[in-house]
Amino acid sequence: MHATIQKPIQEIVRYIKPGEKVFVVGCNNCAWKCHSGGEDETKNMARRLEKRGVEIAGYSTPGPQGMSLCKLDHTRKVLMEDYADPVKKADSFLVLACGQGIHTVIDATDGGMVHPGCDTIFGGETVSETQIDEFCSLCGECIVEYTGGLCPLTLCSKGLLNGACGGAENGMCEVDAQRECGWVLIYERLKKLGRLDLMLPYREPKNFAKWSRPRSLQVSPEEAIFCSQDGKITISNQD
Amino acid sequence: MKLNTYFDKIGGFVITGEVGPIKGAIPRDRAVVPRCAQEAEFLHGRVHAINVTDNQSAVMRLGSMAACVGLKARGHEPIYQLTCRDRNRIALQSDILTAYSLGMDNMLFLTGDHIRLGDHKTTKPVFDLDSVQLIKMAKGLREGHDIVGNEIENPPDFTIGAVVNPNFVPLDLQLMKMKKKIDAGTEFFQTQAVYDDKIFDEFIKKAEKFGKPVQLGVVILKSPQMGTFMNKNVSGITVPQEWIDEIGSVNKADRKKKAAEMMAGFIKKHKSKVQGVHIMPLGWTDIVPDILEQAEIKINGVEG
Ligand code: SF4
Ligand code: SF4
Repeated sequence: MHATIQKPIQEIVRYIKPGEKVFVVGCNNCAWKCHSGGEDETKNMARRLEKRGVEIAGYSTPGPQGMSLCKLDHTRKVLMEDYADPVKKADSFLVLACGQGIHTVIDATDGGMVHPGCDTIFGGETVSETQIDEFCSLCGECIVEYTGGLCPLTLCSKGLLNGACGGAENGMCEVDAQRECGWVLIYERLKKLGRLDLMLPYREPKNFAKWSRPRSLQVSPEEAIFCSQDGKITISNQD
Repeated sequence: MKLNTYFDKIGGFVITGEVGPIKGAIPRDRAVVPRCAQEAEFLHGRVHAINVTDNQSAVMRLGSMAACVGLKARGHEPIYQLTCRDRNRIALQSDILTAYSLGMDNMLFLTGDHIRLGDHKTTKPVFDLDSVQLIKMAKGLREGHDIVGNEIENPPDFTIGAVVNPNFVPLDLQLMKMKKKIDAGTEFFQTQAVYDDKIFDEFIKKAEKFGKPVQLGVVILKSPQMGTFMNKNVSGITVPQEWIDEIGSVNKADRKKKAAEMMAGFIKKHKSKVQGVHIMPLGWTDIVPDILEQAEIKINGVEG
């Protein structure tokens, strides 16, 4: 999921010009889980803005709980059909979702003016209802087969691939004494799994062409085509 | 001169010092000698070579390269330090070629302290490569090709050094990395600062099996405050309380003398187990001759 946090309300208010009519859009999936843009927060944002003198054209958090704002066809239908009138009146959309959601609103409204209501902070695991942690940096070529499923690009502050730097103390990272060194975690886990042999081979530098931006993906039940600066890669889902 | 030449000699004991480039440019007025060059003067004739740090602790400074060139011109033998923190693989390779072209015979490759430890905390950390990959790439340049396999003209020739931290827990994890650095092309190691006899002994017993020269690394402990500060702020180094108490047992005026005595005692105790010593004076290069004398070591071999 994409973890998001709301921007400070004062900052959001500064984005909006006097007289500008704003439609607030939330997301019923990730932003709902983060309490940054679910139904309650979306409605509440409209109220908080109104209290500060902003004119609200309407608000919506498309779909049932679990529906992502970034699903374009659904968002388009909700905004352009179900909310056609208030959307028409709106000068802009304040989006309480990640950057993908923001772009989805641009697409859904045929190029509508958008404001980001959230900071998108990382892709994470919903560890519990109150905790979301980052375990993957979306690099484009997963290497955790060699690290017991723990990502060194994400769990090591320097993203080292061939083992720990010299900086850890008492198992904690040199960057933050409150956080465990990713490589100590990997080492302890592989030791427990009896697979320390995986730590010994030299690991090649990362292919950053697969971590280029923007990347795209074409999907079908049969195959996936991943496009990056590394070229097009076609992967069969069946064979 | 390549440090290899010294390590390869039977009983060769290599002494190195260290200076940090100034925070600023080298004055055009040649009459003004930058502090790092002044510090290096005390090491003249006493050490085989002098490490020149690369934006140490992620604090932005004069480039290691410029300081190396300056030291070389003054008759010193610099060791060019290069970290993965601030450069991608293009810049790293280019800097290695440039350093060689400007006369550097020795290079020491490290990961580099994280940006959070320095004075530019919002900078993008690069870490395109890790230290093992950097070493392998450097060796590749020496063999005549860049990291993507393209042939290069006039391959450079230099001794490859690396760093290992004996204080690291679990030590095995650090030794695995040491082994990878050796396989990648490392020819000698300098250890991070060690103060604890037991820690060093445990480390060297395991590390000597690799058969690569290791220099014992020491940071001159200048004051009890520095010990406490290092324990709190310098990653991967622990100063035992006894050391802090001992340097604190004399008043400020006598600290240099005391520090020399303490460092020399430690080096003397361990010198037979290593192939050299790397002294990091943090400005107190003036006491390095005294340390070496008391530890009974000279650049032409181990005394006694
Ligand atoms: S290597 Fe790490 S960042 Fe890359 S895909 Fe795997 S978990 Fe994600
Ligand atoms: S201490 Fe561990 S997690 Fe932190 S940068 Fe070094 S190897 Fe990575």
